[in-house]
Amino acid sequence: MNPPKTIGFPRMRQEPGEKRVFLPEFIQTIASLGVKVYVEEGYGSRSGYTFADYKRAHPNIYMCSREQAFQKDVVVILRSPKTDEFQLVKRSSTLISMLHYPTRPQRIERLKNLGINSISLDSIADDNSLRMVENMKAVAWNGLEAAFDWLERDWAGLVRPNKKPINVLVLGTGMVGKHAIEAATKLGNVERNNDHIASNGPGAVALSIGRNIASNPATMKSLMAQADILVDATQRRDASKPVVPNHWIGWLPKHAVVVDLAVDPYTLDADPPVVRGIEGIPQGSLNQYVFSANDSKWDQLVPEAIPSKHRRTTVTCYSWPGVHPEACMTHYAQQLEPFMEVLFEKGYDGLSPEGTYFERALYRATLKAWLDEEAVITTPIVNTSGTD
Amino acid sequence: MSEPIMIGMARMHAEFGERRDFLPPFVARLIRRGAKVILEHGYGSGMGFTEEDYRSIAPDVQFASHEEVYKQDYVLVLRCPTEGELRQLKPDATLISMLHLPTRPQRVELLRSLGVEGISLDSLKDDNGRRLVENLKSVAWNGLEVGFQVLRRTYPAPGMEGKERDPIHATVLGVGAVGVHAVQASSRYGDLQLWQFMAKRGIPGVQVTAVDYDVVNNEKTMHEILSRTDILVDATQRPDSSKVVIPNEWIGWMPEHAVLVDLSVDPYNFDIDPPEVKGIEGIPQGNLDQYVFAPNDPAYDRLPAQVSRKNRRHAVSCYSWPGIHPKECMELYGNQLRPMLRMLIEKGGTKNIKPKGYYFERAIARAMLSRWKGSESSEFVKTEKRPEKRNEE
Repeated sequence: MNPPKTIGFPRMRQEPGEKRVFLPEFIQTIASLGVKVYVEEGYGSRSGYTFADYKRAHPNIYMCSREQAFQKDVVVILRSPKTDEFQLVKRSSTLISMLHYPTRPQRIERLKNLGINSISLDSIADDNSLRMVENMKAVAWNGLEAAFDWLERDWAGLVRPNKKPINVLVLGTGMVGKHAIEAATKLGNVERNNDHIASNGPGAVALSIGRNIASNPATMKSLMAQADILVDATQRRDASKPVVPNHWIGWLPKHAVVVDLAVDPYTLDADPPVVRGIEGIPQGSLNQYVFSANDSKWDQLVPEAIPSKHRRTTVTCYSWPGVHPEACMTHYAQQLEPFMEVLFEKGYDGLSPEGTYFERALYRATLKAWLDEEAVITTPIVNTSGTD
Repeated sequence: MSEPIMIGMARMHAEFGERRDFLPPFVARLIRRGAKVILEHGYGSGMGFTEEDYRSIAPDVQFASHEEVYKQDYVLVLRCPTEGELRQLKPDATLISMLHLPTRPQRVELLRSLGVEGISLDSLKDDNGRRLVENLKSVAWNGLEVGFQVLRRTYPAPGMEGKERDPIHATVLGVGAVGVHAVQASSRYGDLQLWQFMAKRGIPGVQVTAVDYDVVNNEKTMHEILSRTDILVDATQRPDSSKVVIPNEWIGWMPEHAVLVDLSVDPYNFDIDPPEVKGIEGIPQGNLDQYVFAPNDPAYDRLPAQVSRKNRRHAVSCYSWPGIHPKECMELYGNQLRPMLRMLIEKGGTKNIKPKGYYFERAIARAMLSRWKGSESSEFVKTEKRPEKRNEE
């Protein structure tokens, strides 16, 4: 197959709070590669962008309908299209999206049946299996920022009544946990932290613990009793069991904030069922990611079978990076740019596992590589944090 | 098509414990991509490789003397050569090495006066200013691995492997690029095998307290934290290296069995004004020959007279932590460097590198001495970062 000549950018039609679109700079960059770029009518409107902002008199940039955007040689949409939208993509086209192959077997079947050549953004990995299109830093920072924002409502300048540093307890020592530690010690926001330092604020102390300590109730009781913020950044081996049972939440001070950086929903009809890492908390979205302990939505969002008697203010979002849409999309665009150069030079079928650095990484994310047993070995560990 | 480029790869004749050289597969790849490679006699011998090991997968590789290697058009060596070695480079040659341009103005001047081009490995950065050749993870993991090995010896009854002991308390000072790795490494004893061994036996793990530079200034809080700390890690990047982070007096608050882990690279230097001191006051600076210091080690006597050293604990310190595990280190550096050298080879050398070319071409352009303007705010780097002076090579 020849290299693709057209690319479509449909809008994401998830919750109204989902404002992310690729920014005009990225669209211009793609157009400068010599391909025709089609953006769906209204693309970027939730963030205040007009088509003129995208077009900027570039002859290769066009506005089109949603259906037309899905009909191009390459289709780019950050979050996966909905089930019924896959059929809008034409056979042998390349769909680029967060497709999460490891946890979405039905989606893979659908892609296969429709003859779509997909590239899953979350599977683009370097020679050491490290993800190359990811925003885990934003997962941690945006979640912690929301938690400190809440505390600041009662503690002006984030100075607690006894003037001691704020205690943040982080569960999980993986990639998101690492970022959470950094974000915790900087009050979830660098500018706020700078102001805090300038005013001789007491700062924050982060305590990081792994699985073998988090599973010890006596130790956890003592640690949770001192925590102002509790962060779940765990990657559980067994998603059917919570890390923090609901009655442990009662050990937290009343003012404490729970930060949920994981993405596992409650799926009680699965076998075994999937439950949230912190038992009894709701799952938030970009529409609402802060739930006070007396929020009326709590009972709607937490299944009845799940204990949820003990409650603290919880910040939770399926898609934390989307809280700051422009920063998020600038980040993704920078990560994606070198891959787009390769794709438009080689085309999907021309990608080789023996090619250049970016070509190899892109190849690993193709559906054909995923379906190839050998390629499965090099696929990175599944990360279920709220990363998209 | 342009002539193949000639790359001389020199050994590092730093301290005895410096065993690192690029591995045979890396050399083979350079040749497969079209370069001619000349290795210094004995290359790789520190890690047990023979010349035959290189020849077996790279038959066209040549071997030559130290002097001959330095006469090649391109000279690749991880740590920057000595001044005497730099003077052996021929004009118009290109030196590929950790040159640390932001903090070594005299080196910049010397190379320029010799007419030598440079590609500084520590300046190879992507469009966002993120370093492409770095091993900060090994700085943290290797330092913590050694730190916990020492703690295993010093830990009081029932010992570090005692099921009844309390969780180990690690404290990490500084939560930057190295600090975040140090937090993770601390939580896993700096050693994944040891971590699994402990976890399988149900032995309590490690609680890691991370504090940033601002909290470190709070004496009361630090007294509380240090008095229960078993292993203290300095991963700070101080804005002012003339000021200590942990005064020697504070070390006295720590348990006798505690271990101090120094991940910074700052030496003591009282020849400059203001003088430069280590972050943890009163610990020796280690290197690959010696990186563990018991409280009665003679190295304490050799500290500059101005340095307080009354309060001592076991300390681990190394100028070059990644060098502790040379093969792993060089495998990583080789993998990171490969795409950029491939680009350099395919382009026919530095003269054809365009600052607005391909991704890796742009990265090379940013790292070239001829384009170095004396600060990180060059036209090619979007994100300005303060110069790093970090234990990393």
